[in-house]
Amino acid sequence: MRILLLTFFLFSSLFSDTLESLLHEYETTTKNSLQTIDEKMGHVYLYSKKDIQLMQYNKLSDILKELPLFTLNKNRFGVDNPSIAGSKTTTSGFFRFFINDHEISSVYTKSPFLAWGDIPLDFIDHIEIYYGESSFSLGGDSGVYFIRLYTKTPTKENGAELTSRISSSNSSSNGFTYASQLGNDWSYLAYFNNSNLKDDSTYKNKKLYNDSDRRYFYLDVQNDTTNINFGYADVKKDNFMGLSKDVVPNSGELTSKDYFLSVTKYFLRDKSIKGSLSIGRQERKYSETNDEEISLVPFAFSSYQDITEVYEDLEFTKLNAYLSKTFEYKNNNILAALSVEDKKYKVKNRTIVNANTLINVGQFNDFDEEKVSSFLLQDDYRIKDDLLLIGNVKFDQYKRSGFLSDSNSKLYRVGAIYTPYANFGLKSFYTRTTVPQLFSSIDFALPTNKNLKEQKYNFYTIEGVFTTEKSKLNLTYDHVEIEDFVYAASVGFINVDHKITTDGLIIDYEYNFSKDDKLKLNYYITSLSEIANNSKSGGYAKYMGKYNKFTYFTSLNYKSSFEYKGVHASNAFDFSLGTTYNISKNLSLSLKGENLLDKSTQSINVDAITKQYFTSKDYDRNVSLTLKWVF
Amino acid sequence: MKIIILILSILSFAFSSQYTFLIKEYDKEIDLEAKIVAKIAKSSIKDEVRLFIPNISSMEKKVYSKYFTLGDSCKSSNFIFVKKADDSIKSCPKKDKLFFTNNYRKLLSDKKFYGAFFWNKSRPNIVFIRKRLDINHIKLPESYAQFVESFNEK
Repeated sequence: MRILLLTFFLFSSLFSDTLESLLHEYETTTKNSLQTIDEKMGHVYLYSKKDIQLMQYNKLSDILKELPLFTLNKNRFGVDNPSIAGSKTTTSGFFRFFINDHEISSVYTKSPFLAWGDIPLDFIDHIEIYYGESSFSLGGDSGVYFIRLYTKTPTKENGAELTSRISSSNSSSNGFTYASQLGNDWSYLAYFNNSNLKDDSTYKNKKLYNDSDRRYFYLDVQNDTTNINFGYADVKKDNFMGLSKDVVPNSGELTSKDYFLSVTKYFLRDKSIKGSLSIGRQERKYSETNDEEISLVPFAFSSYQDITEVYEDLEFTKLNAYLSKTFEYKNNNILAALSVEDKKYKVKNRTIVNANTLINVGQFNDFDEEKVSSFLLQDDYRIKDDLLLIGNVKFDQYKRSGFLSDSNSKLYRVGAIYTPYANFGLKSFYTRTTVPQLFSSIDFALPTNKNLKEQKYNFYTIEGVFTTEKSKLNLTYDHVEIEDFVYAASVGFINVDHKITTDGLIIDYEYNFSKDDKLKLNYYITSLSEIANNSKSGGYAKYMGKYNKFTYFTSLNYKSSFEYKGVHASNAFDFSLGTTYNISKNLSLSLKGENLLDKSTQSINVDAITKQYFTSKDYDRNVSLTLKWVF
Repeated sequence: MKIIILILSILSFAFSSQYTFLIKEYDKEIDLEAKIVAKIAKSSIKDEVRLFIPNISSMEKKVYSKYFTLGDSCKSSNFIFVKKADDSIKSCPKKDKLFFTNNYRKLLSDKKFYGAFFWNKSRPNIVFIRKRLDINHIKLPESYAQFVESFNEK
């Protein structure tokens, strides 16, 4: 009887829809971008293709600046840098960024922002942000937050798109995407972009330059079992505050050329074996001249106390190999994988001018290569239909050149996903992981103690979800304990000598008025055992929708005020709104106003001459106009 | 207590359309694809449709079997949906069978296909070639006219 009813239901629903309405539903469902979510990797925030279009997220930083538990600050080189609530971090070892299967984070700083931070999202399909240790599935270096960008699928684009953007700050960006399904089973997507970004500001009535010229190229060639990705990013920019003691350098420039090739292949009929190989290379040059001297941490206690010029030409290479096998045994889903990573850091040239004398200083230290071998095992065991237990172990072996000793790490995680009702679920993880030292943190460590230890993280998280037909409410709580936290003190990076604890609560609510009209509310608050030098709470309210030929959005991002060393940073209220007019199916015009109240988040910096702390705005008010033509 | 749990269960099934956690393999897209192909196949063939998809994945098999009887081979089926290249199709007799593809270029270059379901300019599309519909004696519903294209084929 049940089967009869089910069959009747299926066939009646099939024939009640017209082919046209089914096509429309298929298109909108695809734009929800749910196909790659892996709930076992952590607590996930999804930015779907639909969200990216409706909210006019033009670049990665547009998304990162609103994420809960983060503040997207600007570092002294004028590069975006996400900081964990309450703490301003000048490097970001706990974040890892991927485009498809390739990690784009810099070998040197673990930050992708110099080369990829302003990457236009024209060729990105959707973005997943995992709060949790996902290297248990992905291999390689461990981390705490994993940001995964997925490029558009060539077969689903199958056309050309031209995007041209101008903004009130005189910035411009022009992009071209071409995707084609070939007559065999191969397809490809190519993306080119050229951007000129203007971002100047002032300090004590002197101009701080932060303009940049950027070029990007991305190629994705794929068939059912193989993905070949090639990426190139090229940036030439002003050095903003740079390393100048008086905050305003005479002149300075930062250039980076970053390229990689990544190949992923699935084997066996069920694609249960996955192998990937990637090579990456970054060439980075930095120059600065400043009459009021340059502060270089590695020489803080040396005889070089009158540095007025610095020049460096660095090269970083990375080789990754990953092999995994998934298999099922009774109610177990098991993933076993091996990953190997080899990172090299080469100083081609590093000179300083001290007391009008040119000195070739070369390497700051002899730690210039790191090999990471990992073995990982994940088992998700379905106890019953609504209860999944997850267990992970990962063994990392770090082999390092130079003075920094080799190390082994044993990491583990246990978790559970419980969905007793269709509209209620719980997810929880207990994780023990580490965050390894970086080439940059060792270079800029306190000169008298460069032997930094890895950071040890111990965290417990729990997420509850309640849904109704139109709404979804998420509550996520985390308790984090960190030992040997690497902190950027004024004399260089140091390991904090005591345990740091932090607790956080995120409340996230979504209400869907219809398929195309959505309201999202978010609020988070954290506590920190240390003196905070960044915002500790925040949230957002955003509304996006569609009416006839128009799509529109409005949002208000809030980050709380804070005080540090007598300096007050006021509340940040980033109010933005925008609309897109779809002139035809293939042509659209978008207008977007960002940070209209001109109350952005602020970064704490220090003037080494006056020893005074001060705040600087992370971004300005901006209005942009975008033309998109599909052909 | 049992009554409360029962009420909660009924309420949760009745009112929940948002997902909580996606712990099962996500199949909504494949499901809609299968629905669309089923609609096309059932409008093109008067008899019972026996579908064959070369190199079918286990998830496709699970989803498509909700709407079709699946054939074991090309020979034993009357509707062939080619999503991936497969040499066995080349030797499969064309008589009493309809061939459908997900690749517009394949549709244009290979006359055995009478239609295609594919993406173009980021939107899903369906195209049937009029002459090939006539050759296969297929009379589609009038609402399908927007999907039929005429090409000058010899």
